[in-house]
Amino acid sequence: MANKYLSERNLKFLLYEVGQVEELCGLPFFADHDRESFDMMLGTALRISGQLLYPAFRDLDQNPPELVEGQVRVRPVVRQLLEQAGEGGWLSATFPYDHGGMQLPVMVNTACLYAFASANFSASAFLGLTTGAAHLILSFGTPELRETYVPNMLSGRWQGTMALTEPGAGSSLSDVAVSAVPTGQGHYLISGQKIFISAGDHDAVENVVHLMLARIKGAPAGVKGISLFVVPKLRPEDGKLVPNDLNTAGLFHKLGYRGCPIVQLAMGEAGDCHGWLVGEPHKGLAYMFQMMNEARISVGKQATAVASGAYYASLQYAQERPQGRPIAAKDPTQPQVPIIEHADVKRMLLFQRAVVDGSLALLLQCAKYADLAGHGEGEAKDNASLLLDLLTPVAKTFPSEMGILSTSAGLQILGGYGYTDEFPSEQYFRDVRIHPIHEGTTGIQGLDLLGRKVGMQGGRAMKLLAGELARDISAAGQVAELAEYGQRLQAALERLLEVTQAKQELAAAGEVAVFLCDATLYLELFGLVAVAWQWLRQALVAAQALASGVGQSDEAFYMGKLATMRYFFHYELPKAQGLADRLGESDGLTARLDARLFSD
Amino acid sequence: MNIVVCIKQVPDTETQIKIAGDGKTIATDDIKWVMNPYDEFGVEEALRIQKAKGGEVIVVGAGPKRVTESLRTALAMGADKAVLIEDDGLYGADPLAVAKILAAAVKPLSPDIVFLGMRAVDDDAGLVGPALAEFLDMPNLSVVTKVEVGEGSVTVQRPVEGQTLVLEASLPAVISAQKGLNEPRYASLPGIMKAKKKPLEVKTLADLGLDKAGKAEIAALTPPPARAAGKTISGETAQELAANLAKALREEAKVI
Ligand SMILES: Cc1cc2nc3c(=O)[nH]c(=O)nc-3n(C[C@H](O)[C@H](O)[C@H](O)COP(=O)(O)OP(=O)(O)OC[C@H]3O[C@@H](n4cnc5c(N)ncnc54)[C@H](O)[C@@H]3O)c2cc1C
Repeated sequence: MANKYLSERNLKFLLYEVGQVEELCGLPFFADHDRESFDMMLGTALRISGQLLYPAFRDLDQNPPELVEGQVRVRPVVRQLLEQAGEGGWLSATFPYDHGGMQLPVMVNTACLYAFASANFSASAFLGLTTGAAHLILSFGTPELRETYVPNMLSGRWQGTMALTEPGAGSSLSDVAVSAVPTGQGHYLISGQKIFISAGDHDAVENVVHLMLARIKGAPAGVKGISLFVVPKLRPEDGKLVPNDLNTAGLFHKLGYRGCPIVQLAMGEAGDCHGWLVGEPHKGLAYMFQMMNEARISVGKQATAVASGAYYASLQYAQERPQGRPIAAKDPTQPQVPIIEHADVKRMLLFQRAVVDGSLALLLQCAKYADLAGHGEGEAKDNASLLLDLLTPVAKTFPSEMGILSTSAGLQILGGYGYTDEFPSEQYFRDVRIHPIHEGTTGIQGLDLLGRKVGMQGGRAMKLLAGELARDISAAGQVAELAEYGQRLQAALERLLEVTQAKQELAAAGEVAVFLCDATLYLELFGLVAVAWQWLRQALVAAQALASGVGQSDEAFYMGKLATMRYFFHYELPKAQGLADRLGESDGLTARLDARLFSD
Repeated sequence: MNIVVCIKQVPDTETQIKIAGDGKTIATDDIKWVMNPYDEFGVEEALRIQKAKGGEVIVVGAGPKRVTESLRTALAMGADKAVLIEDDGLYGADPLAVAKILAAAVKPLSPDIVFLGMRAVDDDAGLVGPALAEFLDMPNLSVVTKVEVGEGSVTVQRPVEGQTLVLEASLPAVISAQKGLNEPRYASLPGIMKAKKKPLEVKTLADLGLDKAGKAEIAALTPPPARAAGKTISGETAQELAANLAKALREEAKVI
C-alpha cells in the first residue's frame, strides 16, 4: 500500500455500483462506449497518475515556477503531461467526434481527471483550463477562430486560460475594466491588466490562449457590457507566431498549489495587443459561465482529490505509528498500540473518509446530471440541467471548505510529524486552501445558491432535488438497518425546505440584505443535506451487496461504507440543526451591524 | 515486416500476494491483473519498428479469459490483431509447455520477429523466450536493450556487467526485452475505442492439438520470512559506536 493516494475500488464503486454510469451508454451520444472501454480508460488514467504525476508531487511544490526574463518557467513534468494529454486524447475526451473528441461521459472523464488530481493537483490543473477554453471557442467562436486555435490547444501544444480577474474586479466581475477597441479589421485592440491568471504563462507550451473578459469601448456599465475575447500571447500572422504585446507583469508566490503559475498580465502596453471577439458583443459573461460552471465542478473535484491524498497518507501513518495503550488497559509493560486503535484517531479518519467519499459521490452525481443535460432526452434532460445548476455551488463548496478541515485532521493524525515536510500531509493542507477562493469565493457561491438557484423557475430545481432525495429515503425505508437514516435525512431535508421558505419570504418582503446575509451558512446547511443524501445512496448499495453475499475483502469494503455513513449521520449531519436554528432567525445581525463598530 | 509479441498477464506488482489454500498457487480473488511489464517493452518496440518498416503487429497470449484485457491493452497501444489461446489451467503451467503452445500459435503467423519480455515478474523463470526460439527454430536474442532491424538481419544490444554485447542474427528471430529498451506508451483514448473493433481470435489447446502437461511442477510456495525488528546501536563516542557496531556484526549477526 505504499504511497496510496486514492482508492480504485472506491472510484469503481461510485462510478458503476452507485452511479450506474453504464446506463448512459443507452443514450445515442454514448452508444459506442461500454464497461470494458471505461475500465481501460480509467486504468490508463491510473497508470499515468502513478507513473508520471505522483512521482512529481513533491517536486512541483518544492520547485515552484520562476519568472526569468519575462518568461515563466515550469518543471519538465508539465510538458510531459500536456504532451501525453494531447496525444492520448484526454483534453478533448468529452467533446463530440466531429470536434476531435471521444464522446466520453463527463462521469468517466471526471473519474479519470480525479485520478490525475489526487496524484498531483498542481500538474492536473493545466489540463482543465485548456479543455474549458477550447470548449468556449468551439461553442461560441467563428469557424476561423476554431481552426486557428482549437487543434493546437487540444494537442497540448497551446495552453488555454480563463482571464477574468483584474486588480479592481475580483468577485465583482461587473467591474471588469480591460478595454477593447474595434479596428475594423476583424480584431480589437486590448488594453489593461489581468491578475491571478492560472497557467497564464509558462514554457511547457508554445503559446498561451487567454479567454478574456473585456469591455468594448462605449459598452454599457455592468455585466451587460462585458464581452469575451480570444487574446493569445503570440498571434498567428502570415503563418508565423508573433508577439502580441501581452506581457507577464508578475508571478505570485503562493501558500500551496505551487506547481501551477498564477500571473499578472499586462495587455497593450505598446498599443498592439490584438483580441478576437467570441460570439456576440456584450454577451461575454453569459458565455464565460459555461467555462465557469465546468470549472466550479472541477474545483470540487480537485479539492476532493487533494483530500483523498491526505486521507490515504494519514491512514497509512495511523496503521504504522505505535503510540500509547488502550484506554481501558494501560499496562506499561505491554507494547504500544498503533494509533489507529485510539477512538479519537478513528474519528478523524472517519471524518476524512466521510468528506472524501461523500464529496466524490456528489461530484459524480453532478457529472451524471451534466451528461443527461447535454445528451439526454425530453424531460429528463431539462431536469438534469436544473439539478446541475442548483447543485453546482454546493459541489464546489462542500469539498473545498470541508477539504480544509479534512486535510487538517489528516495532518493532526501525524502529530508533530504532520507539521514537518518529512510527510506529505502539510502539502495537502496547503494545496487544498485555494479551493474556496478561486472560481468564485464561498461567499459568492452562497449568494448564487440562495439568491438565484433555489428560486429559479419558481423553485423548480429545489422541488426536483427534494424528489430525488425522497426516492432514496423511501428505498432506505425498506432496509431495516437504513430506515433510521432515511428518517434522519428526511428531517434534515424538511428543515432545509422550511429555512428556504422563510428566507424567500424575507426576500418577498423586500428585506434583501437580511435575506442574503447568512447565505454562506445556508450553503453549508445545503452541503450537509446533499452529502448525507450521497451517503445514504452509498449505504443502500453497500447493504444490498452485503445481503447478497460477497468475498472477504469486499465485505470489509462495504462494511466500511456503512460505518462511514453512520459516522456522517451521527457526527456531521447534526450540525444542520444548529445552522437551521440560526438561519431561522431574521435579525440580520451581520447585515445591520455598523462597520464602524470594528473600531477595535 | 510482421511482428508477433507474446504477452503474459501477471499480478500487478503492487498487489499483495497471498498463497492459496493448496500451498502451491496464489490466491487470485483480489488480484489486479496487468500485462507483464517486460512484455510492454516488446509491444512498444514492435510498434516502433512497424512505424518505420510497415507490416503488422500481432499479440499472442495464453491463459484464462481474463488475459483478453491485457491483449486489448496492447491493441489499444496500437497492435493490429490478437490471438488468445484460452485455457484456465495455463496460468502457472510449466514454462516449457507454455512455450510449446505459444510456438504452435505463432508459427502459422510467419513472423519476422517475435518479441517477449525477458522474464515474467510473477515467476521470474525467464524460460519461455529461449524455449520458444528453440521450438520455432529461430535465433534467440535475450535481455535486449536496443534493437536495430537491417535487411534480413537484426542487431541488438545486451548489457553485461557494465559492458554491452552487440549481437547480430538473421531474421526471423526471437528477442526478449529488458528494461531500458524503450519507454512504453500509454494507450490513447482513441486507441482504446479502436481496440474494441480489432480482431481477437480465440483458440483452444485442442485447436492446436496440444495439452498443457509439463515436466516441472510447483511443489510449494512459501511467503518470505517476516522482517525482524531493527536494532539501534548506541555509544557515547564515534569510537564506541563503531566498536559496538563491529561487536554486533560479529557476535549477533555473525557476518564478519
Ligand atoms: C491561486 C489562484 C488562482 C486563480 N486563478 C484564476 C484564473 O485562472 N482566472 C481568473 O480570472 N482568476 C483567477 N483567480 C482569481 C480568483 O478567482 C479571485 O481571487 C477570486 O474570485 C476573489 O477575488 P478577489 O481576490 O479580488 O477577492 P475579493 O473579490 O476582493 O473578495 C475578498 C473577500 O470579500 C468577499 N466578498 C467580495 N464581494 C462580496 C459580496 N458581494 N458579498 C459577500 N462577500 C463578498 C469575498 O468572498 C472574499 O472573502 C485565482 C486566484 C488565485 C489565488
